[in-house]
Amino acid sequence: MSDSPLIARSAFSGLARSVGDGSGVVAADRDGLGLATVAALKGRAEALPQRVLERFGIALPDGPFRSTADGIAFAGTAPGTWLATRENGGNDFAADLREQIGAFAAVCDQSDGYAVLRLTGPMLRSALSKLIPIDLHSRAFKAGDVASTVAAHMGVTLWRLPDADGALVVDIAVFRSLAGSFWHALAQSSAEFGLIAV
Amino acid sequence: MSVSDGNPARPHRIARPGLIDRTQALTFLFDGRRYTGFSGDTLASALLGAGVKLVGRSFKYHRPRGILCAGSEEPNALVELRTGARREANTRATVVELFDGLEARSQNRWPSLAFDAGSINSLLSPIFVAGFYYKTFMWPAAFWEKVYEPMIRRAAGLGRASLQADPDTYEKAHAFCDVLVIGAGPAGLAAALAAGRSGARVILCDEDFVLGGRLNGERHEIDGASGSDWVRRIETELRSLPEVRILPRTTVFGAYDDGLSGARTFGALERVCDHLPLPPAHQPRQRMWKIIARRTVLAAGAVERPVVFGGNDRPGVMLASAVRTFVNRFGVAAGGRAAVFTGSDDGWKTAFDLRDAGVAVEAIIDARRDVPSALLAAAKRLDTRIFVGSHVVGAHGARGVDRIDVREGGGRVTRLSVDSLAVSGGWNPSVALSTHVGGRPRWSDVISAFIPGDVPRGMSVAGAACGSFALADALREGSAAGAEAAAATGSNRIEPPRWRCAEEATSVTALWNVAESKGKAFVDFQHDVTDEDIALAAREGFRSVELLKRYTTLGMATDQGKTSNLNGHAIMAALTGRAIPEVGTTTSRPPYSPVAIGAFAGHHRGKDFKPTRLTAGHAWALERSDVFVEAGQWLRAQWFAAPGEASWLETVSREVKAVRSSAGVCDVSTLGKIDVQGSDCGLFLDRIYINSLSTVAVGRVRYGLMLREDGLVMDDGTAARLGEQHYVISTTTANAAKVMQHLEHARQVLWPELDVQIVSVTEQWSQYAIAGPNSRRLLQKLLGDALDVSNAAFPYLACAEFSWRGIGARLFRISFSGELAYELAVPARYGDAVIRAVMSAGTEFAAVAYGTEALGVMRIEKGHVAGNELNGTTTAADLGLGRMMSKKKDCIGRILAGRPGLADPDRPALVGIKPVDRSARLYSGAHLLSLGSDPILANDQGYVTSVAYSPMLETWIGLALLVRGPQRHGERIRAHSPIRGGDAEVEVVSPIFFDPDGARLHV
Repeated sequence: MSDSPLIARSAFSGLARSVGDGSGVVAADRDGLGLATVAALKGRAEALPQRVLERFGIALPDGPFRSTADGIAFAGTAPGTWLATRENGGNDFAADLREQIGAFAAVCDQSDGYAVLRLTGPMLRSALSKLIPIDLHSRAFKAGDVASTVAAHMGVTLWRLPDADGALVVDIAVFRSLAGSFWHALAQSSAEFGLIAV
Repeated sequence: MSVSDGNPARPHRIARPGLIDRTQALTFLFDGRRYTGFSGDTLASALLGAGVKLVGRSFKYHRPRGILCAGSEEPNALVELRTGARREANTRATVVELFDGLEARSQNRWPSLAFDAGSINSLLSPIFVAGFYYKTFMWPAAFWEKVYEPMIRRAAGLGRASLQADPDTYEKAHAFCDVLVIGAGPAGLAAALAAGRSGARVILCDEDFVLGGRLNGERHEIDGASGSDWVRRIETELRSLPEVRILPRTTVFGAYDDGLSGARTFGALERVCDHLPLPPAHQPRQRMWKIIARRTVLAAGAVERPVVFGGNDRPGVMLASAVRTFVNRFGVAAGGRAAVFTGSDDGWKTAFDLRDAGVAVEAIIDARRDVPSALLAAAKRLDTRIFVGSHVVGAHGARGVDRIDVREGGGRVTRLSVDSLAVSGGWNPSVALSTHVGGRPRWSDVISAFIPGDVPRGMSVAGAACGSFALADALREGSAAGAEAAAATGSNRIEPPRWRCAEEATSVTALWNVAESKGKAFVDFQHDVTDEDIALAAREGFRSVELLKRYTTLGMATDQGKTSNLNGHAIMAALTGRAIPEVGTTTSRPPYSPVAIGAFAGHHRGKDFKPTRLTAGHAWALERSDVFVEAGQWLRAQWFAAPGEASWLETVSREVKAVRSSAGVCDVSTLGKIDVQGSDCGLFLDRIYINSLSTVAVGRVRYGLMLREDGLVMDDGTAARLGEQHYVISTTTANAAKVMQHLEHARQVLWPELDVQIVSVTEQWSQYAIAGPNSRRLLQKLLGDALDVSNAAFPYLACAEFSWRGIGARLFRISFSGELAYELAVPARYGDAVIRAVMSAGTEFAAVAYGTEALGVMRIEKGHVAGNELNGTTTAADLGLGRMMSKKKDCIGRILAGRPGLADPDRPALVGIKPVDRSARLYSGAHLLSLGSDPILANDQGYVTSVAYSPMLETWIGLALLVRGPQRHGERIRAHSPIRGGDAEVEVVSPIFFDPDGARLHV
């Protein structure tokens, strides 16, 4: 028994249900995304970007922006602090990252700490306007922009990706324990446009 | 003369339909009677069209009231709308969009609208004057709460609340724009178009369901087209502009602060589904908008003033502009024999429009001696009597006006038989939104009204809202303001659009009140404030507008005095021999018009009031228990009842005994976990905690206590050293966010020079306490070879990171229960699988799941402090932890913890208590008293913080804070709980009831 693999359960497991008619908003669970917080060590603020560039080919953003290459991305969330992600990276990502840049930054696995949804759809901006108090218009929030804000009293971090099929695309990360409340709030806001869980 | 369009079923509908679709008939009920209106009607226009003039009774005197206005400023026609749980009181009939099947009822009448018993108040009116309540219900004082207030509350008020939960939903939304245009009349449309053409992001709001403002109520021509055709043309172009958003049925009700960028926040209410019988699926009834605008054009128009004369509240007395709106927009004539009483050119328009609609105009009464000759010439064709320099001194009629008395300059009084009277005292610009953030309006002698003075930063005002009443001026000002606002936000500077329209006569002479009139003359219709009340306030010294307002309630009704304030202030000015600007004006506060509380709450009601946090093991817990306790936003299982258990106490006692005799598992994921890294992390934690943490060896855990700056205890927890430069600390569930904030403050502000990085990892880890004498065997079975958990390899207060079944896990040998115990942490996605695996491994040991209640019992048995003791009033010494304070280093709170008050040896300190009669029950919150002393505050010696029934000791036990407690072990005192009725003799004992030597921890 002690050798059989443990079964992982997504934070949105059993929660992500479609609501309403239509497909104004489309939400995909990003379960499996590797996430880690990266905080520059004191005195390493200049060496860290150099190291990240060498190892990942990514210019570490200075501010609320996200840079990406080969499935790895760094999103600025506070001065000297980033949320790094790797597609399908799981918990291994943080360990790898620590090996690569651990001498320059404190790295913490958050792959399970955040539940992440990829949201898109023709009515996404209207739906998010009910949740998030920031301007998501292209003139104010462009692809690659990052924001830490609140959604229906829940802290969230979101970043904009390039539009797909002419529609806004964002990833939105919320603390895992809030996945149920967040989905509920998203469903309330999206119901009139139709929310599709994929 | 007949007014009708020829259809006998609708005697008050004129031939021209206006903006009404007469092919779409809608039926509705008013006071149970069935009527017919049309698509495009408001409830008010439909009632007038059906010949209903009497729609309500007034607030104080129960006077019969009709419809005064055609817009949101209406003070009289307040009705109850809909039925059952959807019943809405005090709805203004003038803004209710008619729908098929609408049900409305009049308010404030009994037994019926036509015969209202409360109207006896009108006969008693000499005693119901301003200040009546203050003067009358003074004595005896004891009567106020039990007799007077309930009586007054029953008699006053208007509609009735449904007292049921609102079945509809409300939502909140945010919008951002370069230019917010408030009002879609001519000035607002011109502004929105100019700004929109420049490419700016524009939001155009209007409270009406049709754009156009006054253009829909007047017969203007713009560029050779009718006003309403022009509106449709502009609206079409606006809708073609991708960055323009039009929000009809949306009232911008408040202006709020601006930010550093200069963008200002506005509140707006969109009535999404108020015009439908029921909201369609997934549609909110109303939507609350928070609009952040870089620039604003206020084009809110103006509100016409009534005139204060005897009987001016009779149904059928209406604002002249409202009469025009009903005729031109709704195709409704309120009566067949009308008169007009005015002090301005504007009022004459009503006479012309009525005559053109086929309504007989019996008379035009103008208070001015000098009336422009052009008007007199134009009036010749009306075949009507013209009185100049004359006033209406009385309007009469039991349920509606049927005659008026006109007094000419020489004093001769003529009685005229009319069934409607249009009145115009001039116009008040709608300045409210320019005053919400502190701007004061400015008096204009030209229009005898207040206009916006120092407007909020980023706002410009156009058209009637700034006193420019001529259409040509409104268009020009709106267009310029829109272009300018857009340019100021970085959009292209464009040539403001221009349109052609005719010149108008807009001369005004102030007409406030008719001093010679007889009978009750109302200033504030909604609050039944008369000219006599103003005079009384003046006589009694309440002459400041602010005192006048509070003494008479002038302008304090839901209409905020839109039609009444200035008339009241003008009368006060005249009575006290001052000019109006000297008297001043009150300023308004948000909301501009009433907003339902539900709209402010949005979706955050009931269980959605705040978010809920669930651990990864929640689904597992839910399979075994339906009793959860809220810990902040978290839900934690309180206990896990087994079949046949009769009470929670039986369940909890079983859980405790099982843990203490074999093994149990508890989800402790909700405790805060903070990852601390960096070369200075040990030093940092030494400064945070009172004890030394830099000396903890790698692979070991130490209990720590932290203080607030003021020396009181903030929180406690454990610090596990995972590496030379890596700790993970735990906090209590309740204080997790506060401690994180505290640490961030220390790191960023107090000691930015330290190399410390902190991050919350509470959510990353699912953590389970596995406790009891068999917990090691359980873990050995669970973990296999992944980690050696023998006492030698993994002693008390050890910690380790290890790999287990393909995941990275952590184990801490710490104990809150006092048993041999561990906490196993795994990435949260495996939290569900791991709790099931733990329970499965525990089967042979009969391991139980235990909840927060058993956790609490065991910690009380062990004398461990928790939230009840870490309550913001206790010091480390109070909790018996004073010796933890390291003298070799400094820490936050150390100095202030040494204050005389906090170092006082007489402070209440932690003890245990046990009832002398072993069957007696203890209550937390009970006061501690010496035996034989009276239960009074002076004798208070402390209080009980936590109690539990201890299944191990088979008696109730408690923790308490007792004056000099630690020196009083063995003494008998009294625990007295006047609230819960408990009063027990207790013995003071050590707070550690169970296993005082801690032998069970180290096995």
